Amino acid sequence: MTNLNPLYHSFWYLLRGAGMTVLMAGVAIVPATLFGMALALAQVFAGRVAQGAIVVYLFLMRGIPLLVLLTFAYYLLPLTGIDLPPFWGVVVVISLYYAAFMCEVFRAGILSLPIAQWDAAKSLGMPRGLMLRIVVLPQALRLAAPPFVSLCANLVKATSLVSIVGLWELTMASREIVERTLAPFQIFLGAAAIYFCICYSLALYGRHLERRVLHGH
Amino acid sequence: MPFDLHFLARLMPELLEGAKVTVELAVLTMAICLVWGLVVALAQSTRGPLGWLAGAYIQIVRNTPLLIQMYLVYFGFSMAGFGLSGFASGLLALCAQNGGYVAEIYRGGLQAVSPRQYESGRALGMRGRTLYTTVILPQVVARVIPPLTNQGITIIKDTAQVAAIAVMEIMKVSEIWVEKSANTYDVFFGAALIYLGLTSITGVVGRLAERRLAFAQ
Repeated sequence: MTNLNPLYHSFWYLLRGAGMTVLMAGVAIVPATLFGMALALAQVFAGRVAQGAIVVYLFLMRGIPLLVLLTFAYYLLPLTGIDLPPFWGVVVVISLYYAAFMCEVFRAGILSLPIAQWDAAKSLGMPRGLMLRIVVLPQALRLAAPPFVSLCANLVKATSLVSIVGLWELTMASREIVERTLAPFQIFLGAAAIYFCICYSLALYGRHLERRVLHGH
Repeated sequence: MPFDLHFLARLMPELLEGAKVTVELAVLTMAICLVWGLVVALAQSTRGPLGWLAGAYIQIVRNTPLLIQMYLVYFGFSMAGFGLSGFASGLLALCAQNGGYVAEIYRGGLQAVSPRQYESGRALGMRGRTLYTTVILPQVVARVIPPLTNQGITIIKDTAQVAAIAVMEIMKVSEIWVEKSANTYDVFFGAALIYLGLTSITGVVGRLAERRLAFAQ
């Protein structure tokens, strides 16, 4: 159990898996953020119908496990004739799922601005677009930054689920090595340590941002 | 195509059997985490090695994927000679991870009570038990219930991952049904419906608890 040889010999393979994890998470975060932002803005500014549709979307995404959605997409996409490579398939599912949580984070940021800010912008005669760009968003994004970063750490952890539908990344790589070396403790601890390095640095960065938000700058 | 009612009539009883396991796992996890989270939060609030240890525990479990934790317990323990069942391994990993999140929720709730509340309580001649039960704890409870409800929903969704270590809950049952019937739409419709039901019930219970217990505001 204390023999670290299996981990030592396969560490490079694990790191390659980690590279894939980071790539997958990095690629998924971009559309998740943009879509989440669009949803948040629509929830604050759009009409009743759009708001209703978004509420339904959020309800579905918050109530169904990501693993169910991933497996669903895995079996279903081939049937619908959409011919996506598996990597892009899971990136789409993960970003659709996380967009719902991003939406909550951004919406909370927008809504926590003091009313006086809106009134001040309106009384200066700003059109809505300008008001968003130079008054609302800069402040709302600053408030939303810390929870956004911790959501990103969650997304990194969530990419481990794609190993269940057969994609190769850090978790899959560690399972392969365990099957070969029969050293689950060492290998899974090694994988956990790599995940920890990625997610904890994000968490530290989030905490740093939080301090900046609390103390002005 | 979707909604073959005869098929659903055969499927749903089995999915509900799986749902029993999901509920059992989720309720046990919630109950244990409510207590364990409090223990960890109290340990963390102390000075010295115990506080440091609790802080490290929180960071480690929160920044590594649940799936890796489950593999570590399930495969690692059996390799070390004291194998746990899939259910027990899943429960252990679920409690370890969510206990870290719950501890943070408690800490946030305690920190959010302003020191002036303690001072005013003392100024009115309250001390010890009276101060806590009439002034401090009601405010903590009010702040802690909404995030705890969210955590409960997360726990229900997280239980889907124990399918990866062969526990027959909703997710595993639906995978088996997809494999043997190729009726993907209906199976996932059923599974998603049950998950949405379970998470909605948790949301409603949380809101009821909030209304009954959060008399401070």
